[in-house]
Amino acid sequence: MSVVKQKDESKEWYLIGITTGLIITMKHLLVNLFNKKKMITLNYPEEKYEYSPRFKGNHVLTVKKDGSIRCTACMLCATNCPAECITIKASEHPDAQVEKYPISYEIDMLRCVFCGFCEEACPVDAVRLGPEWQTPGLNGSNFTYDINHLAYRPALKGGVASIVDDQDRHKAGI
Amino acid sequence: MLKCTINGVALEVKPGTTIIEAMNNNAQRIAHYCWHPGLSVAGVCRLCMVEIQGNPRVQIACNTMVTEGMVINNTSDKVKDAVKWGLDFHLINHPLDCPVCDQAGECGLQDQYMEYGQYDSEMAEKKQKKHKVVDLGPTVVLDSERCILCSRCVRFTDEVSKTNELGIFNRGDHAEIGTHAGKPLDNKYSLNTVDICPVGALTSKDFRFKQRVWYLKDSETVCNGCSTGCNVKVYFNKEGLFRVKPIYNAEVNGHWMCDEGRDTYKFVNLGARLTKAYQFVSGTWIENYAGAAAKVAGANLKSAKAEEIGLVLTGQHTVEEYESIVSTFVNTFKTKNIFHWVNNKESFESFDGILLRGDKNPNTKGLLQVLEKHGINASWSQLEEGLKSKKIKHLVVAGPENTFVYPDLEQKMQLFLTAENLVVLTAAKTPALEAYKGSNKITAIPLKTYIEKDGTFINFQGRAQKFKKATTVVSEALTLSDAATLMAGQDLQLHVASPREVLVAEHIRADQVHLESRTKNEFVFNRGRL
Amino acid sequence: MAIQETKYLTEFYHLPEFKGIDGYKKNGGYVELEKALKMQPQAIIDEVKASGLRGRGGAGFSTGMKWGFLPKNNEPRYLLCNADEGEPGTFKDRMMMEKAPHQLIEGMIISGFAIGSKKSYIYVRGEYDQSINTLETAIQEAYKAGYLGKNILGSGFDHDMDVYRGAGAYICGEETGMISSLEGLKGQPKLKPPFPAVQGYLKKPTIVNNVETLAVVKYVIRDGAAHYKKIGTEKSTGTKLFSLSGNVMKPGNFEVPLGFPLKDMVFGLGGGMKPGRQLKAVIPGGSSAPVLNAEESNRALLDYENLAQMGTMLGSGAIIVIDDSNCMVQCLSNLMHFYHHESCGQCTPCREGTGWLDKITRSILSGKGRLQDIELLLKVADNMKGKTICALSDAAALPVLSFVPKFRDEFEYFVREGKSKVKGTAYKGHSYAEMHH
Repeated sequence: MSVVKQKDESKEWYLIGITTGLIITMKHLLVNLFNKKKMITLNYPEEKYEYSPRFKGNHVLTVKKDGSIRCTACMLCATNCPAECITIKASEHPDAQVEKYPISYEIDMLRCVFCGFCEEACPVDAVRLGPEWQTPGLNGSNFTYDINHLAYRPALKGGVASIVDDQDRHKAGI
Repeated sequence: MLKCTINGVALEVKPGTTIIEAMNNNAQRIAHYCWHPGLSVAGVCRLCMVEIQGNPRVQIACNTMVTEGMVINNTSDKVKDAVKWGLDFHLINHPLDCPVCDQAGECGLQDQYMEYGQYDSEMAEKKQKKHKVVDLGPTVVLDSERCILCSRCVRFTDEVSKTNELGIFNRGDHAEIGTHAGKPLDNKYSLNTVDICPVGALTSKDFRFKQRVWYLKDSETVCNGCSTGCNVKVYFNKEGLFRVKPIYNAEVNGHWMCDEGRDTYKFVNLGARLTKAYQFVSGTWIENYAGAAAKVAGANLKSAKAEEIGLVLTGQHTVEEYESIVSTFVNTFKTKNIFHWVNNKESFESFDGILLRGDKNPNTKGLLQVLEKHGINASWSQLEEGLKSKKIKHLVVAGPENTFVYPDLEQKMQLFLTAENLVVLTAAKTPALEAYKGSNKITAIPLKTYIEKDGTFINFQGRAQKFKKATTVVSEALTLSDAATLMAGQDLQLHVASPREVLVAEHIRADQVHLESRTKNEFVFNRGRL
Repeated sequence: MAIQETKYLTEFYHLPEFKGIDGYKKNGGYVELEKALKMQPQAIIDEVKASGLRGRGGAGFSTGMKWGFLPKNNEPRYLLCNADEGEPGTFKDRMMMEKAPHQLIEGMIISGFAIGSKKSYIYVRGEYDQSINTLETAIQEAYKAGYLGKNILGSGFDHDMDVYRGAGAYICGEETGMISSLEGLKGQPKLKPPFPAVQGYLKKPTIVNNVETLAVVKYVIRDGAAHYKKIGTEKSTGTKLFSLSGNVMKPGNFEVPLGFPLKDMVFGLGGGMKPGRQLKAVIPGGSSAPVLNAEESNRALLDYENLAQMGTMLGSGAIIVIDDSNCMVQCLSNLMHFYHHESCGQCTPCREGTGWLDKITRSILSGKGRLQDIELLLKVADNMKGKTICALSDAAALPVLSFVPKFRDEFEYFVREGKSKVKGTAYKGHSYAEMHH
């Protein structure tokens, strides 16, 4: 939509505006020089901003107390995913109580819209959106994260154990 | 005929009809688990409660005969309360692990709960623990915790397969389905128990955990495993076909199908298919488009003498295809050297008494009828002699889709390879051809399977069963009719068939949802016929 | 005058020789068989119908009517004697089989003749070792004396008899469950209709009667229907054996005419309560019958109609007396455990419901009960009642539906305080449970 500009006498005197702007800039420069704590920019990537723990960043597959993956390959996350970026292959687990687990769980990060629907759909608290948000990569690098990366990447320091454990769940009759 | 009123609708039913049959046949909904139209009445789930006027107690509909003037309803609060409690009793010891359970999405408990239950369970005590992942046999896995002991599977092995492998062991809420030691559930119809299981207790080893059912679409077709021609539903998505289940046809297969028929989807999937046409020219394969290859092959045939041309047909194609290829050969190529390839002569007429027939081709009758119509009576020995004496130089073979039932495939291929110019039209990968490096001119053209085309099979009874295309797996492949048209030198006409033009089998119910009236990813499961 | 038994069936039970065929014959045995074999079968059925004899096993259905349901054709038919006495509190059949086996056998031959059956079975509870031995000996004796086998007493009537030993399942006392068991199947009741009289054992017409019912047939023939009708009340004719047990001074089997006051049974024949104890409740017809509180049991009469009026039933005649040293919550829990253990698991409401009731009562006993559990007990029981193939779920539901309303204060006290209102009845777990699990 185009805007028709009206001729306005006051706007022809632009020097006042420029001066006001320069004063603000100068004020911030001086404040930042003498009081570094109040500075609102960061020296990225040496300094990083800390988001709230509820930030919905890169996915994490949670693990049980014994370190195995919680996911039961029910595919509700994949069903719920609006971007269709989750691909799961289920398989028979040797333990009859677990019964089913994913042999492959892939999230295509470039398709993901970080809506968090997968987290909401998960009946066993197996997938979460974590605080991690920097996922740079060189041209050609793989943005389809596999099960090992999602559950055991070094940044997770041994995997994120879910708060609810299977045994607790069984005790509660779930 | 008896007059009765069900939920305010006046009906006439045959004497001896139970209430649940009357309701089921007239599109009235009623909750049930243990009742199955193909099995005896067990009356154990106690869910099909109805109120009969003049009777203060609710009755089960499956064991109550309709009598003259009976007024029945199953929508009153009394019935709803009884059904709600019936469900509650089913669910108190049933694990709530629907996400793990393979039946989720087509589960009787889920459906009935959504329709009649929807309450908070008052059960505060621990659930009963039972055995999980019990291996019942080569095809079926049991989860006792999920079992609601409706006894359908037990009655199936007692009454239909008559193999009596399954039984209910222990009593009360410790009761479990099981097999006797050393007698696994191993019969040719064992997977029907999985179909009739209303919950996820019995699962098929073949399908278990392969797909969630809501990712699958289904389409009705006719099984091409043998000449019985069972009416089936195939389940597929873009990754291919995943399973085959029977649908009811009283005249052909009743409610059941055999385990062999359930494997027929395997040769349709991409891994087993010939995807590209190949022309074998002076010792090397040249990849080509199917249509182009057919045209070249046709041109070769046209330049040949009529008596040097031969055609071999198997009973695995549709009547329409036979008609078009046979008339092409008779009218265009002017030859009557058309031979019927019989795969297993010895057991051709055998029958196991239930469904399985020895003739492993779905359309032998159809082929014979078309051959008879065109007055063709060439015998197999004529072909053998013709090839030996080099009388037949140009041979076109419409090979089988289901190569598993052709034990003589390799041997016959060696025979065909003695022809100078061999055109093999086949849907399946044929190792015999690829291994052969001779001086013959060989052309291999991919065909569509029965899942990918419309057509008609004529079964052993002479019953013509139409079916329609379900999905496309190899888009480039031709039907036999397409191939015939192209070989005759004509171009393919784009024919847009209206959905009604090709019927599925004979039985279309009023409440049936058709593929074309479905929106994307919608899983349709007809609840009334659980 | 002191309250006394009316010895009709049990007249000679004090004689040890009555057990053998000679002693039995000396005291009037097999006379009626000879008489009956000269009668028309239909005349015997009519006589039994006229006598008003009702089934002594529990349901109290007219025996003559039941026999009348048999199809009028020449199909082979079977007579089944239900001696699978499983109802907790009942022990009368055992006494009859062990003290007077020939009485039963004679009654069965007469009944078999009346209904035209050539083969009969006595289905005896597996635990009744002695009864089985006694019966088998007696049947041998009867065969030797020509009362069984081909052409009995020259009448042209053939009859064979066998003893079948059950394996101890309560549900096999239900007539169709018994038929399944006899056929070699799992002891599970069958759907009705068809009723056994039309399609029973091996899909042939079958009559199932209790031990006492069949034994009485002999006496109906001996004295005639008119005389038999004079005993008891108008609708509940004859005498009945009652098994009195529980907190009384003199438990045992007592034969009294129907319509006998329950009070006289407990305080007269039973010798009353133990010193210092008060009557709290009476279960008048075996564990499945709804309980009567002290006030009700003082005015109850032991016949089918009166007890039905009071909301309970005569059942198999097992009178269980409960005094004030017992906690009703524990009593109910014990019963629920029994039904949980004995449910055949065929019908869902019973299979799951009995387990649920057991679990709720146990959680109350272990002090984890919630107040809504009491309502829940009633709701669950109410929805089990009348919803299954056989009466076992009713049998489990009825005690709940009578115990909870009648002794609600005890249940509420237990839930609130976590212990019994009755002192000295600390919950020590189920002895029954420990035995079986």
